[in-house]
Amino acid sequence: MTPARPVPDALVYDRVSLRHDGAAADAVGPVSLALREGERVLLLGPSGAGKSTLLLAATGLFPRSIPGACTGGIVLRGHPVTSRTPAEWADTCGFLFQDAAQTLAGFTVRDEISFGPENRCIAAARIPDLVAEAMRQAGIPQIWADRRISTLSGGERQSVALAALLAQGAPITLADEPAASLAPKAARRMADLLLAPGRTTMVVEHRPGPILDHIDRCVALGRDGRVLAEGAPHEVMARDGAALAEAGIALPLATRIHLDLPDLIDPRLPLRDALLRVPPAQARRLHDAVLPAPIPAGEILTTLDGADCAPAFGPVVLRDVSLTLRAGEVVAILGPNGAGKSTLAACLAGLLPPRAGRRTGAPGAVAFQNPEAHFSQESVRAEIAGLCHAPGRVAQIFDRWTLGEVAHQHPFTLSQGQKRRLSLALLAEADRWPVLILDEPTAGLDRAAETVLGRRIRALAREGRALAVITHDMDFALSVADRAVLVHRGAVQFDGPCPALMRDAARLSLAGLEPPEAAPVLNWLAATC
Amino acid sequence: MLRGFHPLPKLALCLAWIVASLIVFRLSFQVGLFVAATLLLLLDARVPPRRVLLLMVPFALFGFGFLTTSVLFRAESGFALQMAREQGAAPDVAPGLVLFFRVLACGMVSAVFALTTDPGQFVRALMQHLRLPAPLGFALMQSMHLVPDLRAEMLQLRMARAIRLGRPLRRVPAPGEAFALAIPLLAYAIRRATRAALSFEARGLQPGRARTHLPQPPIRRRDWVLLGVGGGVLALVLAVLPPGFA
Repeated sequence: MTPARPVPDALVYDRVSLRHDGAAADAVGPVSLALREGERVLLLGPSGAGKSTLLLAATGLFPRSIPGACTGGIVLRGHPVTSRTPAEWADTCGFLFQDAAQTLAGFTVRDEISFGPENRCIAAARIPDLVAEAMRQAGIPQIWADRRISTLSGGERQSVALAALLAQGAPITLADEPAASLAPKAARRMADLLLAPGRTTMVVEHRPGPILDHIDRCVALGRDGRVLAEGAPHEVMARDGAALAEAGIALPLATRIHLDLPDLIDPRLPLRDALLRVPPAQARRLHDAVLPAPIPAGEILTTLDGADCAPAFGPVVLRDVSLTLRAGEVVAILGPNGAGKSTLAACLAGLLPPRAGRRTGAPGAVAFQNPEAHFSQESVRAEIAGLCHAPGRVAQIFDRWTLGEVAHQHPFTLSQGQKRRLSLALLAEADRWPVLILDEPTAGLDRAAETVLGRRIRALAREGRALAVITHDMDFALSVADRAVLVHRGAVQFDGPCPALMRDAARLSLAGLEPPEAAPVLNWLAATC
Repeated sequence: MLRGFHPLPKLALCLAWIVASLIVFRLSFQVGLFVAATLLLLLDARVPPRRVLLLMVPFALFGFGFLTTSVLFRAESGFALQMAREQGAAPDVAPGLVLFFRVLACGMVSAVFALTTDPGQFVRALMQHLRLPAPLGFALMQSMHLVPDLRAEMLQLRMARAIRLGRPLRRVPAPGEAFALAIPLLAYAIRRATRAALSFEARGLQPGRARTHLPQPPIRRRDWVLLGVGGGVLALVLAVLPPGFA
């Protein structure tokens, strides 16, 4: 009897180093790792560690379509990646990109989802059924089939990209921060589908907490682009948590609290169980670990009074909005994808006048979702120099936002996280704006940068500024905001203390949101105090 | 009604009328075609009258030089006279007026096609029936996404610029601002096109590679009837026109 041939790994990187054209150092590597058939691997790493480049190299897109150099060997299902073109590998390996808005191919939702099957030469008669099934799986209403892609919000486009990936039917999936712009409920649906048991998936994600239970193995890259830690997720978090935190990688809340309060929380236990062992006398320490220190609110800086908010060329998306922003206050603006949060931001800042009602108060600045909108100079150094601060303060800004290493680079060549840091630094460090509105500021940021950002937000509030933070990251909102505003169905549905909203699972669920990871801590605090 | 027809017979019919407009040098024909196309836009495509008027503006501006020379100065430009001579115009016709209405008629016929045709379906029909290469077809679809996205990007750039300069956002960009926005917008378009091309390749699109097509509405009998009726009317009009055209 002939022995069964071993099944080759789905994807193998063997001492792979990747370097972009013109770069002085490798973007990543040397890295050796394997993705086994039916395995779900989470690739972690700080911003700029080369995670996206590593994914693109899996089918040869790097260096074939993105100029650069690759050393070492990459093998897909037993074949060298160079044996086929990236397009030919589409039957084996499907991609879900970070920014679906810019990568969709079709004119309508139906066009988009059928794109992959058409390229795979699936019989035309089978394609409509494939499209309908993929839409059903991704939770997209069938009546959207004829909707134009350009009418969809960013989150809706990401859901369509997921449906297109499912219809493509490739057995291996590589996903680069697929849920970064999704509201929590949509993000969970995406995780459930992408990381269903038995699927072969490698996913890059900055926030591992919500998906950790769907993962078989974690691989963490360090700042030098080499493997820092590898293993079963809970093992890695318990064993290497401190090293990962040191490298700027986000950790699940239980691990983070354990690192901060090692005598209170046992990282080996689920958070709820670990909380049962915390003595009530320690409530203050736990409170301080998850909630921001209070800042006394000052005078009202900006008011919207019965305002109807509309984008510049579009219809009214929010009606009768009445809000105030006070000095020293941080407000989280929450809501599902397409609820009108960005439009509200522009109205609050005074950039778009309300169609009805009125806005009064100081002008504000918005840090847009696309950080590139804020760049106008040829280097990071020139951008920061444009703020006209004294040399000492400039050095402090580079240090504070970890931009010193890329000071000579053109802003457009930075990684997404670095771009985000620079755009926020340009607004936050300008002393001109009493009101600052940050639109999805944590997208593309690693944990280290997110922590720095959170601290800066609170520091700016303490200096007397009013800040509004639009985010889908409920834990980040909870960690920086005193107050939360929930926007849904064309109106403000809630305006009150942030922890109160975060504990209201029913209200959050109605708006397509989910409670933060820290919700058990909030409930424990409410029951104990 | 026109929205329900297949794009390709409709395109053929519109092109036939545009070609007729280009070769017939008669004022009555041009005015008649212009009026018919405008009525189709108003009554069939249900385009609001204000939008139809706005649509006419660029075409009218293009032909306005001929009109003013002909009507206000009672003279004809050299180009108009040469066109009239080459196309065998009737002696009593004002060439400038014919050229003015020709531009309007061609513009309105184009608008009838553009406003009653789904662009995605049109591109798909070109790929399926006329062998337009798929990379080109999907690049066309991408460019159609790009137009509204460029507008949104421009607004965001303008807002970011207003924030940077500490000025209120102007309703219409000043010439200096428009110039300053041109390069970032071009960079945005290039970056976006690069990302889209990468995504196309990752998802299996490659020049020359065989692919199937999502089933599209076929060319039905009613489409052939439209083509026949439209072509027949054109033939009849051309037949009954008095001599004096090429």
